[in-house]
Amino acid sequence: MFVFEKRTQIPVRIANKNPRLAGIILSQYGGPDGELAASLRYLSQRFTMPDNMGIALLTDIGTEELAHLEIVGSVVSQLTSGEGAKSFDRYGKGDYYVDHSNAVYPASAAGVPFTAAYIQSKGDPIADLMEDLAAEQKARATYDNILRLSDDPDVNNVMKFLREREIVHFQRFGELLDAYQSKIK
Amino acid sequence: MENNNCRRLLQAVNEASFFMQDLKLYLDTHPDDETAVQMFREAVKQYKACKEAFEENCWPLRAESSGKNCDWDWLCGAWPPAKV
Repeated sequence: MFVFEKRTQIPVRIANKNPRLAGIILSQYGGPDGELAASLRYLSQRFTMPDNMGIALLTDIGTEELAHLEIVGSVVSQLTSGEGAKSFDRYGKGDYYVDHSNAVYPASAAGVPFTAAYIQSKGDPIADLMEDLAAEQKARATYDNILRLSDDPDVNNVMKFLREREIVHFQRFGELLDAYQSKIK
Repeated sequence: MENNNCRRLLQAVNEASFFMQDLKLYLDTHPDDETAVQMFREAVKQYKACKEAFEENCWPLRAESSGKNCDWDWLCGAWPPAKV
């Protein structure tokens, strides 16, 4: 089960409003390599991991991804809260505003709604872990792209932390894959 | 003033909790590393103390810490995305 703690994993304090930047960061909320996809991927795959080491690691990383989903949602929300239709339109986000106003909706930066087609749950630990390693690198690359597109230091500090966590998760998944592969040998 | 204090106390919770989280993931794939287990226990101690200090001075972080003064203070404080 899950227990909620009333705080984000790291503080989110964004001083400036910017609906355009919010629309870019939204991809890590509900986009193809975002935190929602990551958490659902690991929390689903864990049911067919062959031992407790695998179940524990996927549960623990999947849970941390939920905390990251909350961080990304908080960044998007703070960048847009209180902004009206005119501001969204000026920043080129009138199309988002017409359907969602100031809400946080799981979609990619291009506006594609979240879909479970972004993830796989194969029932084969080698296949699943190979996907997880790729997923962490794709998420890391997306944070790199966000850092290339954003010049807001408050936002970038948060993005850098999340980027770093993808690298740690990649490392841990690699260790689990090594453990399974050496068992096969 | 109170808010500054809560920010400082929350930062201590965040740091101890992160220490715990990172060690937990490491220990999942290195369960035989006794030094890391000891560090994990140290992190837990630190986290509990920091969480207690925060909740005493600011607001409950978990529902289980609410209602101690007979009022439903679970609603109090900064819910994400509110800034602390």
